[in-house]
Amino acid sequence: METSEIQGRVLKILTPYVKDNSALENAGAETNILEDMKVNSARLVDVVLAFEDEFDIEIADEDVDSVNTVGDCVTLISEKLS
Amino acid sequence: MSDAPVALVTGASRGIGRAIARALGDEGFRVGVHYRSGKDAACALAKELPNAFTLHADIKEPAQIDALVAELKKNEGRVDVLVNNAGYNVNALMPAMPLDSYDAVAAIARGAWYLTKLVLRRFMLRQQAGRIINISSVVGHTGNPGQVPYTMSKAGLDAMTRSLAQELAGRNILVNSVAPGFIDTDMTAELPEAMQQQILARVPLGRMGKPEEVADAVRWLATSADYVNGSVLHVNGGIFGG
Repeated sequence: METSEIQGRVLKILTPYVKDNSALENAGAETNILEDMKVNSARLVDVVLAFEDEFDIEIADEDVDSVNTVGDCVTLISEKLS
Repeated sequence: MSDAPVALVTGASRGIGRAIARALGDEGFRVGVHYRSGKDAACALAKELPNAFTLHADIKEPAQIDALVAELKKNEGRVDVLVNNAGYNVNALMPAMPLDSYDAVAAIARGAWYLTKLVLRRFMLRQQAGRIINISSVVGHTGNPGQVPYTMSKAGLDAMTRSLAQELAGRNILVNSVAPGFIDTDMTAELPEAMQQQILARVPLGRMGKPEEVADAVRWLATSADYVNGSVLHVNGGIFGG
């Protein structure tokens, strides 16, 4: 799966949780999910579950710790898919 | 595969766990009869209950819990009710208790935490529904000489109930404890006679409880009790009311 397609699907999953829409509109690999998009940290578990369901992968807790940006999400999902 | 809801009961091969499994089976759940060492009893119980099945794991071992949850996901696809009933106790006065005994008792609470985490992650959060019922003990509230690690472990389980109920608020997943008192099981039968008499003398109803009486409380929390969350339901004949 192309990186751009993964990023598009990641952003679609994040959309309902984003509090700063301008960050979403200008989102790129470096956009921080908590600090820029203002996603509530309590909702991260929902985001991770949605990633698992969307891409049919399992994400370990240790992996979640290393995810801060949209690019981190795309990299992690790409690794799992490969 | 039946589409009936699934209830997982840990430590279900005997005593209170067996009574809970029967009660939930009566309510139409497909019951996962978990056991560690009582394979024959667990298999016999699973045959008795419609659509029930057995699951083996040592709750002290995370890798075995991983395998149990993977088996559940593959074969059943859902968990609607989790009853953390498995328990372990070592009776000894604290100055004479080896550290290994403490670790063995505490490992059960750690296992309940880990199993609950996985059940939430794999099933209940996706289902956006569930009931988690922790079987604690009155001695977690009153204390009991010779049972320092056990009382710590059970008090911790009730603390997990309260904190997790708050974490899951708004997710349609209710978390409660049932705290049995002096119940007629193999575990209480192992207590010294003098201790049994001493405890019985404190029970206002004047008798030991039956496993089925604890199971009734679990049945209520599992199937009804829609506005009960983060609570400890005491089933102890009046020893302690919370």
